[in-house]
Amino acid sequence: MNRHTVSFTVNDQPHEVEVEPRRLLADVLRENLGLTGTHLGCEHGVCGACTVLVDGQPQRSCLLFAVQLDGAEIETVEGLAADEQGFHPLQTAFWEKHGLQCGFCTPGFLMSSKELLERNPDPSDDEIREGLAGNLCRCTGYVHIVDAVRSAAEAIREEQR
Amino acid sequence: MTDQIETLAPRFFGQRVKRREDPRFLLGRAKYVDDIVRPGMLFASFVRSSEAHARVRGVDIADALALPGVVDVLTGEMIADTSHPIRSDSTMPTWQGTGFPALAIDKVRFVGEAVACVVAEDRYAVEDATEAVIPDLEPLTPVANMDQATAADAPLIHEDWEDNHFIKRHVETDGFDEALDAAPHRSSHRFVMARHTGMPLENRGCIAEWDSAKGELTLWTATQIPHLVRTGLADALQIPENRIRVIAPDVGGGFGIKGHLFPEELSCSIMAIRTGRPVKWIEDRREHIIACIHAREHTHEVEVGYDDDGTILALKAHLQVDCGAYSVYPWTSTMDTGMALGILPGPYRIRNYYVDAESVATNKAPLGPYRGVARPAACFTIERTMDAVAEQLGLDPTEIRRRNLVRSDEFPYTSVTGLQYDSGSFIEALDLAMEKAGYQQWRERQQAAREEGRYLGIGVTTYTEQTAHTTQEFKKRGIPMVFGYETSMLRMDPSGQVTVNTSIHSHGQGLETTLAQIAADQLGVSLEDVRISFGDTSEVAYGSGTFASRSAVLAGGATDLAAGEIRAKLARIAAHLLEAAPEDIEFSGGRAYVAGSPDQGYSLAEIARMTHHNPQHIPEDEAPILESTRTYDASPGNGTFTNAALLLLVEVDAETGFVHLLDLVCVEDCGRIINPLIVDGQIQGGIAQGIGSALLEELVYDEDGQPLVTTLVDYLMPGTTDMPENFEIHHLETPSPFTVQGIKGMGEGGAIGPGALVASAVDDAIRPLTSGRVTSLPITPEKVRTLIEQG
Ligand code: FES
Ligand code: FES
Repeated sequence: MNRHTVSFTVNDQPHEVEVEPRRLLADVLRENLGLTGTHLGCEHGVCGACTVLVDGQPQRSCLLFAVQLDGAEIETVEGLAADEQGFHPLQTAFWEKHGLQCGFCTPGFLMSSKELLERNPDPSDDEIREGLAGNLCRCTGYVHIVDAVRSAAEAIREEQR
Repeated sequence: MTDQIETLAPRFFGQRVKRREDPRFLLGRAKYVDDIVRPGMLFASFVRSSEAHARVRGVDIADALALPGVVDVLTGEMIADTSHPIRSDSTMPTWQGTGFPALAIDKVRFVGEAVACVVAEDRYAVEDATEAVIPDLEPLTPVANMDQATAADAPLIHEDWEDNHFIKRHVETDGFDEALDAAPHRSSHRFVMARHTGMPLENRGCIAEWDSAKGELTLWTATQIPHLVRTGLADALQIPENRIRVIAPDVGGGFGIKGHLFPEELSCSIMAIRTGRPVKWIEDRREHIIACIHAREHTHEVEVGYDDDGTILALKAHLQVDCGAYSVYPWTSTMDTGMALGILPGPYRIRNYYVDAESVATNKAPLGPYRGVARPAACFTIERTMDAVAEQLGLDPTEIRRRNLVRSDEFPYTSVTGLQYDSGSFIEALDLAMEKAGYQQWRERQQAAREEGRYLGIGVTTYTEQTAHTTQEFKKRGIPMVFGYETSMLRMDPSGQVTVNTSIHSHGQGLETTLAQIAADQLGVSLEDVRISFGDTSEVAYGSGTFASRSAVLAGGATDLAAGEIRAKLARIAAHLLEAAPEDIEFSGGRAYVAGSPDQGYSLAEIARMTHHNPQHIPEDEAPILESTRTYDASPGNGTFTNAALLLLVEVDAETGFVHLLDLVCVEDCGRIINPLIVDGQIQGGIAQGIGSALLEELVYDEDGQPLVTTLVDYLMPGTTDMPENFEIHHLETPSPFTVQGIKGMGEGGAIGPGALVASAVDDAIRPLTSGRVTSLPITPEKVRTLIEQG
């Protein structure tokens, strides 16, 4: 099969990969670049576990081909923080509020929430639920996830004050 | 000084401690099976049956083998002589067993059964090659449901069986018929729970690796039960168990579904041995939906006798469970029937009971345990029955329950099926739920809404959850393996740090935190000083794993006992060094000191170092090692019983049939709570899954046994907007008199009640519009509309 060269940045690092046209962004992130924080729960666009930000917008990396992404800026969970000390307020809040159990959905929720809070820094609970309606979690029942996003929003607003 | 030490050593038990394990998940650095890469690794994929019931005439693998990148293709015929099928047999009378082969040999018995395994150099190549394998299947008449399976002329799914029953059981109390005949009122009901499943967000997956020099197999697999997988693999492959290492890394949810040995694990192991290279298989969602474990397909018929006050006098039940095509390892196909039969009377004082229970085989995916195991269906049936009796007598649904619930002064209470309810707060939980909800105000809201033409309804459910069942209970169930105990090995190293190796597995339950809380409390150290290790059979003691709401009780108990033993030894050493009596040594802030004189003491690091490096200073009769292994099997063995009461307010849209969940109040009593934050999370997650069972989830098959639901587009799971608008949890804490620290299990509980609860609320909402009642789950908008239309 013919192969294409694609360049993009992931978490501000430039990358150039050579891929078959059918190769998914998720597989490039996970296998070519070793960024296994992005998870695959369905590979058909429903669960949201594979959510990453592409040019600031949440996208399902299981539905994108890598060849579509030439020149894109991609952000994955690994870009949020290098360690516990540098946690993004969302990571701190998910930890404090017990917003994760098995952790498999968590990277997707963090990325969707990040974009949500950038768009709407002071969301109501209904807006949080609406904003995260495209991410499934089978463990938590979402109550603590909504608590975490609300609390992260407060922390970010506080920080910016 | 004393004050200062006390603040250094808070007691962790009972605290809302945030989880120790979270950072690796939040940073995207957890390691699930699919994140592991082995050198030279191949990828496996399965060719699956498109027929529900067919004879395998042959499998053409030539085209697939010729494709680029393909390394090997395996069929059932090729391994029929060298590997044993997976077998799990009950020891009870009437049992008929099955062998579940790694790959189908002569027959396929459900759509999705693996027929061939392909391995290739990469994931894309293997998927291409899978399509090139052509199974030659001769269709047989499918047995797609329990009616077809139990018909007089039903084709046999397993040809050596007498009929399509795994097992038939019967239990009856003395004088049952007279008791039922004597009841002033009787009514009969039929309740159905649809087939659905746990659907963890991570699919199944494994990597098998064969070390031909040592003759050793390593299997990384997404499992809840690493040791039991090892035993099952050893039996099937005839490899000694000390040559197999099973590693369960981070696992993305299990809920019982990943508590099995799977044919795919066997095939990958065989492929690793054949090719001499590591073989990885990652299931896709469609495979997971059609070919993994399904759950909870129950039909219950009941007849209930009661008096004018609503006291239940007799309960007769016929329970049928559609167990699919094969008996599952290690549970057998008796789990759901046995559990339903035992717990159907629930938290109520029912003394006359008659039950027939059948596990029926059909041409569908095998049925296995999913969070709650039969209790959601049993709870649905008994609670629906309570609602029906209340309605017939004109009683409030909370009142009928109050009149029949086991009272606090009756514990320990032996149920009609011989279960010993150790302690509980059945009535108190209901009272508290009503108080917290403001039950009267809810009734007033309902009235006011009705006057505006809006349909609000209130649901109520109470249940008791058998948890941490141990040796006696599993022995009684006739399961070949008795999962009684768990084991923790504790070690303090020369630096004074503690490692807990434990036989359970944590995949969301937060056991890396709760077990550390228990160990840290015993030893007076901080949580940071305790490392919890599990999942690798070469590192930890043999045990069963995590299921049945038992890990906090059993691994918690074992950890507490082992830590206590190390503490006692540290006390003896410290006493010797300090010339004091061991009973006068206290522990906190990472130090051991003489009670009342905190500055007269040593840090645990000093004692640990001395023990290992300068043993001449410790008592002569003490070995220079700080280690303890303890096993815990909670007595009396049939479990410790958690209880809960739930109230729910819903609004039903009479036009669309849509059920909107407004307020949910849960009062849960799981004994002494180790970590309320984690307990709340478990309850919320369980209830969310229960809401899925109540309103959304169903694995639909057609009359030919073809699955009609194959993606998450058709299999609807609750999302953020499906949860109740307000969700409150309150706790009562009635300790178990029997367990270490009075702990009870609670991991499954949340999932038990919502089916019954939502049904109760929907009925209450639409009562002015129809005489019809909800008798089956899930309660789809279409079902609600049908009830309303029939008037
Ligand atoms: S894996 Fe992409 S949406 Fe599920
Ligand atoms: S934490 Fe397990 S799926 Fe969300």
